[in-house]
Amino acid sequence: MRDYGDAVKMKRFLALTTLIGTTICLQSPIQGHHAFSSEFDIDKPIRLRGEITRMEWVNPHSWLHMTAMLDDGTREEWMLEGGTPNTLLRQGLTDKILQIGTEILVRGYQSKDPDCIPKCRGSGRDITFPDGRSIFMGSSGVGAPPGGFPEDDDQ
Amino acid sequence: MIRLLKSLFASVVLLTVISLQGCTQEQTSESNMAAPLVSSDPPDLSGIWQTMNTASWNLEGHTASKMPVTNILGALGGIPAGMSVVEGGEIPYLPEALERRDQNRSDWTNLDPVAKCYIPGVPRSTYMPWPFQILQTDTEIFIAYEFGSNSRTIFMDRPGTEAPLPSWMGYSLGHWENETLVVNVTKQVPDTWLDASGNYHGADLVVEERYTLVDENRIQYEATIDDPDVFSRPWTIKIPLYRRMEDGARLLEYKCVEFGEDLLYDHLRKGYDGPKALDGSVREDA
Repeated sequence: MRDYGDAVKMKRFLALTTLIGTTICLQSPIQGHHAFSSEFDIDKPIRLRGEITRMEWVNPHSWLHMTAMLDDGTREEWMLEGGTPNTLLRQGLTDKILQIGTEILVRGYQSKDPDCIPKCRGSGRDITFPDGRSIFMGSSGVGAPPGGFPEDDDQ
Repeated sequence: MIRLLKSLFASVVLLTVISLQGCTQEQTSESNMAAPLVSSDPPDLSGIWQTMNTASWNLEGHTASKMPVTNILGALGGIPAGMSVVEGGEIPYLPEALERRDQNRSDWTNLDPVAKCYIPGVPRSTYMPWPFQILQTDTEIFIAYEFGSNSRTIFMDRPGTEAPLPSWMGYSLGHWENETLVVNVTKQVPDTWLDASGNYHGADLVVEERYTLVDENRIQYEATIDDPDVFSRPWTIKIPLYRRMEDGARLLEYKCVEFGEDLLYDHLRKGYDGPKALDGSVREDA
């Protein structure tokens, strides 16, 4: 067994310490680039029925704009955040399916910011089309609630 | 015995090589006979190119004018005069579309997406006053733009395909027509402008570009803009591209996100006392 000099022993000690230290740090909960809970409210689920008015196929989040018909007959302008264009594409959503004028039902969660300036905002979870197809539209890894959507039984 | 085998082996190898040579030669002559009529040596557009005009400010003819920064920069901060690069002079808008162009123009510093460092799209990327580099292979032509370090790939080997989603630079398919590179660009997002003065397009824009090497250091560039929702007919721009010829010419960096940040977010800063409201619109009492 060779006898390493003091300098090398010190280097190994430092390297090992750094490695162990980094591993410990990484055990803490990971914050994504954009935590769901910082912008959206899990206690404000929304269910919006209406027509698409605009699609923004952009990164880091696509945005689906729609005019929602409320129960009292009035209309409200909404924008829903979705996954990246690639994520939506992998779910089967393309610009031929999400066209201006397409009738949809969107479930999601409203923003913590209650002011609808310039539009009401939410995090989109899934889109249901008139033929009954339902496609997940949200982002993954941002802490969005994974479980069932509240009030699913009155569908 | 071993010597015999060795020489037997050697002659088998020699015979194999000779016969393979023969086969190869036959194949070559066959393929020569079946060669397509298109030139097998397209012009090489590789190099660093740049336009030299004011099309990025305004595609149509315009006089010199002030802009917001003229207050600060004086004579250095004006827009130079320029002749129209549009064939026929004016862009043939549909009447309602022309109104929207004029609305864009009235608030262009806030509305021009390129001012925020968004990708300029095609054809505006070509005539931004920054150079770009063309890298050419048989299957792809790659263009790197100094502005924003943007880039696009022109696919030469997959005709008839289309992109499933829109994007800022669109989807480019190219082919050679004699000495001209013809590029068909589809699926651009509707959010780009054609210049800084409010000229715009819709979601169904199709651009056809033509690059023709007229001499060693000049490309004649033409782009036909086709969008029936906005214009009454397709229209064409014509711009010479000049090769950057100085020693060591290369693309440098122009990462523009930092330049666009204040324009986008200044009104959200603590202590902001300017004219914009929280949603970015100009307050009526400003």
